[in-house]
Amino acid sequence: MAEFRNAGVRTAAISVDPPQTSAELCKRAGYTFTFLSDPSREATRRYNLLHRGGGPDGSDIARPAEFLVDSAGIVRWVNFAEDIRVRARAQEMLAAAQSIQ
Amino acid sequence: MDVVERSQRWRSGTCPPERRGFFGGLDTITVVTPDNAATRQPAPRRRNGLLWAGGLLIVVALLSNILFFLRLPGQAIFPWLNLALFVVPVVLLVMGLRRAITQPETYRGKAGGWILTALSVLLLAFAVFAFYKSRDIPNAASAPKVGAKAPDFVLPDTSGRSVGLSDLLSMPMDNGAPPKAVLLVFYRGYW
Repeated sequence: MAEFRNAGVRTAAISVDPPQTSAELCKRAGYTFTFLSDPSREATRRYNLLHRGGGPDGSDIARPAEFLVDSAGIVRWVNFAEDIRVRARAQEMLAAAQSIQ
Repeated sequence: MDVVERSQRWRSGTCPPERRGFFGGLDTITVVTPDNAATRQPAPRRRNGLLWAGGLLIVVALLSNILFFLRLPGQAIFPWLNLALFVVPVVLLVMGLRRAITQPETYRGKAGGWILTALSVLLLAFAVFAFYKSRDIPNAASAPKVGAKAPDFVLPDTSGRSVGLSDLLSMPMDNGAPPKAVLLVFYRGYW
């Protein structure tokens, strides 16, 4: 994550988890970047990423996706996972981030 | 010959080779009575290798899926090779099962064949289910595309403070300057 910071990229993770859960996750995993909570699914809906009934208890959650947004608020790179078991590749994201310079 | 004699013969290596399998030949014991002891030789029974190979290959395919194929770089790789790894054992299983049914004397009887096949099929079903389930996500056709304006939002962070996209873009980083870009990672949560 330090590489992202060095590249001038701020990372923010968004999920429907309440702040409490995200705080615990950060503590457990040692994450230092921003975690935002979207319990009302407002932002998830605005990005058209809602996965209805996708949560373990049948709740609506976000489908995995990554966006690189430049300082003008324009999307410069996107990644939509096709398989929830496949995690985003840090290397790919970093390459995209560095190409913005 | 009695059991002791049999086991001695086995240890000394004089037991016929087909009786010295995985279970040390114990699986092929035939009841030896005084009248058939001299004349009757047990029919050589073999392990149904096709079924074992099929079952084993399914395990290999599953493990390779989890440990290797899901970690390959780049996304949108449809795991064709992995799929082939699942098709081969199915063929082996069908062949093995056929053998178990048509030649039960040689291949440990029908029941064993069915049990082995059922276990393999169960594993396979699990693999198919996991594969389907994990790809069963809505497409992102209507999500913001490259070149589009990122929709704004205001959401609470872990300390309950409201943070908007504009804040993420403008708040200074450690070096005192605002970031060049913000990486938004939407994840499923429930970790």
